[in-house]
Amino acid sequence: MSMSPDELKNLKADKVVDARGTSCPGPLLAAKRAISSVPVGGILEVLSSDPGTKRDLPLWAKKMGHEFLGVIEEPGYSRIFIKRKK
Amino acid sequence: MPDKMCLTIMSGSIDRLTGAAILASGAVSMDMEVEIFLQLWGVYAFKKDVMHQNMNLSEFGELGEKVAQRIQELKLPMWFELLKQAKELGKVKIYACSLAANIWNVKKEDLELVDDIIGAGEWIEKMREGKINLFI
Repeated sequence: MSMSPDELKNLKADKVVDARGTSCPGPLLAAKRAISSVPVGGILEVLSSDPGTKRDLPLWAKKMGHEFLGVIEEPGYSRIFIKRKK
Repeated sequence: MPDKMCLTIMSGSIDRLTGAAILASGAVSMDMEVEIFLQLWGVYAFKKDVMHQNMNLSEFGELGEKVAQRIQELKLPMWFELLKQAKELGKVKIYACSLAANIWNVKKEDLELVDDIIGAGEWIEKMREGKINLFI
């Protein structure tokens, strides 16, 4: 279930990965690397300026059994929120 | 058992190798295993004395310099660095075709990132188990 932008803005991520400036598949690889350092139930926030990432990461989360929470659009980049489920 | 993607790489040009490396990284990220089989020019591009010097582009040759410049501007790693990363992050095996190895007169030790030298029959059996099979 995706969260509203207001709910997302109030989230405190356990880990923030800044993948801005890297291109596909850089942000996806960054998420894969980072998720193991987030506690189960915790939240990973990925910053990406690659337009593919906000569509890649929900698919990745589904495949890996994590929960995609939503995206906040900022000028020039996206903030993508994933909850680690296992 | 995770799904598997099989890439048969005939090309030795860096545009195609980059495309293949990006797919391999993507597949590893999506929790797939990746197996790569190198044929003629693919094996050549993985030779230790060729890999880092290779600037060959197969298509739109006159645009090659522009592409190389954009790759640098975008901070995209070189294709062999992407493959190295993919190997660190997931299960990626790279095989060289035994016939091509004979043609270039190389052993496994003469090639970078290559795990083994195998024949076509074994590769067919590996591809039979592949969920995604591509020829590049």
